[in-house]
Amino acid sequence: MYWIFVRNAMKLRARRLLLAFSALAVAAALATALFSIYSDVERRVRSEFSSYGANLLLTSASMVPLSAVEFARNAGAVAAPFLFSTGKLSGQPVSLAGVDLKAAQELTQYWHVEGSREGCLAGINLAQRFKLHVGSEAPLENAACHITGIVSTGAAEDNELFLPFETVAKLAGTANAASLIEVRAPGERLEEVRAELQSAYPGVNVRVVQAVAETETGVVRKIRVVLFLLLALILVITTMSVTSNFSELVMERSREIGILKAIGAAERKIASLFVTETVVLALASALAGYAAGIVLAGWIGRSVFAAPFQVRLELPVLLLAAAITLAVALVATALAGASIWRIEPARILRGE
Amino acid sequence: MTVLAIAMGTAIATAMLGVMLDIGDKMNLELRSLGANILVTPKTAGALLPEAQIPKLKTIFWQLNLTGFMPSLTEIAQVGGSPVSVRGVWFDRQYRTPDGRVLRTGALAVNPSWRVHGHWIKKPNECLVGGSVAARLNLKPGSTVTLFGEPFRVTGILRTGADEDDQILTELADLQRLTGHPGDVDALQVAALTKPEDEFARKDPARMTSQELERWNCTNYVRSITHQIEEVLPMSTARPVWRVADSEGRVLSKISGLMLLIALAALAAAALTVWSVVATTMLERRGEIAIMQATGATDRMIASLFGAEIAVEGLVGGVIGVLAGLQMAHWVGNSVFRTGIEIPPVLAPLSIFLAMAVALAGAYPPLRKSLLRAPATALRERL
Repeated sequence: MYWIFVRNAMKLRARRLLLAFSALAVAAALATALFSIYSDVERRVRSEFSSYGANLLLTSASMVPLSAVEFARNAGAVAAPFLFSTGKLSGQPVSLAGVDLKAAQELTQYWHVEGSREGCLAGINLAQRFKLHVGSEAPLENAACHITGIVSTGAAEDNELFLPFETVAKLAGTANAASLIEVRAPGERLEEVRAELQSAYPGVNVRVVQAVAETETGVVRKIRVVLFLLLALILVITTMSVTSNFSELVMERSREIGILKAIGAAERKIASLFVTETVVLALASALAGYAAGIVLAGWIGRSVFAAPFQVRLELPVLLLAAAITLAVALVATALAGASIWRIEPARILRGE
Repeated sequence: MTVLAIAMGTAIATAMLGVMLDIGDKMNLELRSLGANILVTPKTAGALLPEAQIPKLKTIFWQLNLTGFMPSLTEIAQVGGSPVSVRGVWFDRQYRTPDGRVLRTGALAVNPSWRVHGHWIKKPNECLVGGSVAARLNLKPGSTVTLFGEPFRVTGILRTGADEDDQILTELADLQRLTGHPGDVDALQVAALTKPEDEFARKDPARMTSQELERWNCTNYVRSITHQIEEVLPMSTARPVWRVADSEGRVLSKISGLMLLIALAALAAAALTVWSVVATTMLERRGEIAIMQATGATDRMIASLFGAEIAVEGLVGGVIGVLAGLQMAHWVGNSVFRTGIEIPPVLAPLSIFLAMAVALAGAYPPLRKSLLRAPATALRERL
């Protein structure tokens, strides 16, 4: 009897229920999309900061062992060694930097290079001072340097001459050592990688580049708070619209409710009818909304980050979306259902 | 009921749009903790820039977008027999702009991410020591170090992970006096709020038409700001610090894109809600429409009657919603960014207009359907 009542109520009020269903489904979809973005946004934003270059620097009072490069790579980071020395260009002292530009490619994304990124590169200030340009021969003592590119970074690199690592190692007479190793560890594992490197190389000074580390964390946190507040606002408005829908539903059915009360149904029993209806409705819209939300998150991910947010057919997100939808629906039913208690069967039956 | 729903929808939409339109600027400020994005150096190697000219920065077109600048002079000192680079900078200096305003700026404004173990420099002959230098020379807050023959008290240890770790920082005036370079600086770091670079930003200004050049100068691209700095400081070369400027541009454009799409999705949800509430109420008034039709009202009359009603409801709901929405936007701004949200004035009328449009759009299909039906059918159904 109970279920027949529920089933028929749904069948007979299909249009109104469809409106409630769509409002709930929209809430579920937005909740799913925002949750997917929320959980993936950290990785996304941190990877955008990769254009900043290294977030860990390995330095030492003497030299840094080259084996640390391999160690950092095994720890899941990008690493490249730099070797600094001085040389003479047309008799004047200049700073030389030895680097394997191919290995350092990811760490030097922010370099603005005119010409090729491989070979012998001159910093823009140095190039202007010595009138070097792409294709010219730099008159460097003890080594050949055919300029293949001009580097501009707005930092120290603008005054340096970049040669292959081995060339500078030979000029400086060092082996298996670097002046500096730049490491880019995944932002969320920064501290972990730092600790591993520090314990493997106690003699080396492993520094975190604070500016980028702090900015990354700050930006991620703010985006998350904004997403969270948006979610809250969206849920508030959905609750409102579903409540309005449900209270009209109760109003419309006041005659039935009056009859039920007259033949002796307890208010609780009648309210539980509505609640059952709501739960069925909410679960159905949660499923539909979840599917729509995954598509929405995928679309947002594709158009902003050129790769979809990891589409998670994960239980937690689904459960969360279902819980939220259910909560919204139940709050709406509670607000709307309060009037069940106020309906007086006698007045209803008299036709008022 | 309709008014309430419209107000609610408009409030959400206004709050969302307000926050989204301003989030670019807010994130831009947040990204300033990456440090300076422009480096100004003397044009010829070995030359120095006059410190007195630096306030002229505050006369460029984009002066309000300069959040701070930090002149500095670097010299090598011998400390305990080994060379250490000593950098004199403005920490939190008061200066006077050419048009007479008194402002403050310095390292604290340019590098909000700097954290000092101990405290900042307040008096002459005090210094901050970089983390690596402190470890090497065994210096702690409170110890004294001799630089260029004068004792300096260490007030704090600075660990930034960058060049500063290998330096000792003092007030610029101290270093200028001790090294015999009064009024000279060798570098100037500038932090500016910029717009991410696009295709147009990369064009060579020398090859632009005068119209293009004007548009380029009036956009806060990092390159147009460096161009303007070079114009007011003729002895200098201003270059974007690409490591900072590029990351900023990428992150900013991604965040704005993300937030815009989320705002659109939420906007659509709000519109859908308003639309559905209006549609339901209209649907319920089929009986009224049928009675009007039966008593001889023309379709046009009925449509204009309901249209006017919905428009008024839209207007009232819209106004209430906009007021509530602006309040919500400020609340979000204050709780997330600790500053209010700046909302373009056009947003308010736009939101109200949107509210009315969505309400009317929601009312249209059921109204049309009712008008097309024979009144008798509708009336029989009601009874």
